[in-house]
Amino acid sequence: MTRTSRRAFLAALARAGLGAATLASLPRWARAAAAAGAPAAAPAPPPSGADFIVRNDRPEHLETTLEALGRSWITRNDRFFVRSHLSVPSLAAADWRLALTGLVTTPLTLTLAELKALPQITAVHTLECAGNGRGLFQLPSTSGTQWERGAVGNAEWVGVRLSTLLARADAAAEAKHVWFEAADLAPVPGVPPFLRSIPIEKAKDDVLLAHTMNGEPLSERHGFPLRAIVPGWFGMASTKWLTGVRVENQPSDNHFMVRGYRYAYPGEDPATAPPVETLRVKSVITGPVDGSIVVVPRRTAKNKRPLLRVQGFAWAGPAGVRLVEISTDGGRAWRPAGFMGDTAPGAWRAWATEIEVTPPARVSVMARATANDGETQPPEARPNAGGYGNNSMHKVTVSVRAI
Amino acid sequence: MLAALVAATVALGAKAAAPPKRVAPAATYPAGPGQAIAERACLFCHSPMLATQQAKDSTGWEKTLGQMEKWGAPVNGAEHDTLRQYLLARFGPRVPPAAAAPGTPAK
Repeated sequence: MTRTSRRAFLAALARAGLGAATLASLPRWARAAAAAGAPAAAPAPPPSGADFIVRNDRPEHLETTLEALGRSWITRNDRFFVRSHLSVPSLAAADWRLALTGLVTTPLTLTLAELKALPQITAVHTLECAGNGRGLFQLPSTSGTQWERGAVGNAEWVGVRLSTLLARADAAAEAKHVWFEAADLAPVPGVPPFLRSIPIEKAKDDVLLAHTMNGEPLSERHGFPLRAIVPGWFGMASTKWLTGVRVENQPSDNHFMVRGYRYAYPGEDPATAPPVETLRVKSVITGPVDGSIVVVPRRTAKNKRPLLRVQGFAWAGPAGVRLVEISTDGGRAWRPAGFMGDTAPGAWRAWATEIEVTPPARVSVMARATANDGETQPPEARPNAGGYGNNSMHKVTVSVRAI
Repeated sequence: MLAALVAATVALGAKAAAPPKRVAPAATYPAGPGQAIAERACLFCHSPMLATQQAKDSTGWEKTLGQMEKWGAPVNGAEHDTLRQYLLARFGPRVPPAAAAPGTPAK
């Protein structure tokens, strides 16, 4: 929370005449501030600066700028997008336990040390918020944070395979779904807890329970001490602040399963609409930046073909991405870009290409990705009421000048 | 040879192809009838930014308020209408319904 909005919050509370009973249910920093009669330092303020767009500061919704995303295949922890639904819990590693319960022969309770003593897996996976691109949908109403393109990132995770724990607990034959229970709660009791469940087939496949992100223990905002990582699925499946894994014979009926995260089109009931699950095939252009001026070397006898370099990332659901193509004529002709750098299952791929230009010129570049299952990005994804899964093609327009 | 490809990229303030009308989220609720209600009923759980970045029609705000009241936002009947009008007037639809692009049907 920024200093300004913290002050505004406290001033508003004072205006509203909230009493001691109300203050008792406030976050710790607010209680301390109220007691001291002055704004106190909030714990871990949102990182600010050029790498983040603060879409919301409480709860934190931080979007990475495309410039920052474009700097590396692995997204650094201090510029990895943040999307928290409720208040971030402060969990002490020593007191924390993971309970595995439900349709199992042997329920488990594990400390963090016990989890780390199990066989460890290291894997690079891309996370994308289901609402990434919501703010670009042309709809009169889309409820939620108005993300543009940077609610996505790629990190190296270390943890235990969920399948390892399910095997130890001996999940029953009638087990069909795994519910992820977490420690985050809203400031008022009427708000449902955030809970997502996934099918047992996915849970037994490649899901990780991760404690380490890019070589560091998870930070509080990224789910300390343990979070799920569900490769190829939109980010909300990768529950943070995990405290329980519950094996059930049906999906959860939690609000964030039944009402939220559904592909409902305007006028449709979310409860009967398809759920938002696997990532949609998508590419993003990280350079050049839309609206920028790009300077290229002047055309000379030696340099006959001034080139504009275009680069970005592409990703897809479990099928993985197969191809990225570029168009400079509004989508009539397409030619392939080249993949480069590292590759890992469930991780995005860096791509790049060069376009011949004749400066001075205004150049528009579009990118489209195709997945191994044949799915290709649409020019315009059909806007759904929740603003989910916007994988419309990305187009940037730049001015190219010569020096 | 690589150096010959691109010399520099200079970020420019102005955007070329402007997306739909964007309103930067405000850190405080703007003045007006309903401000005090919003501060009392909404600040408890979330920053004003969550609301002030939205663009919703009357039905959209009605749904949001209904949801929040069900979850415990302390808003009474008369306040409900004041608050809906306040939010709609300041954070109304970004595009008119007619301009909403039908787009490509999703699979």
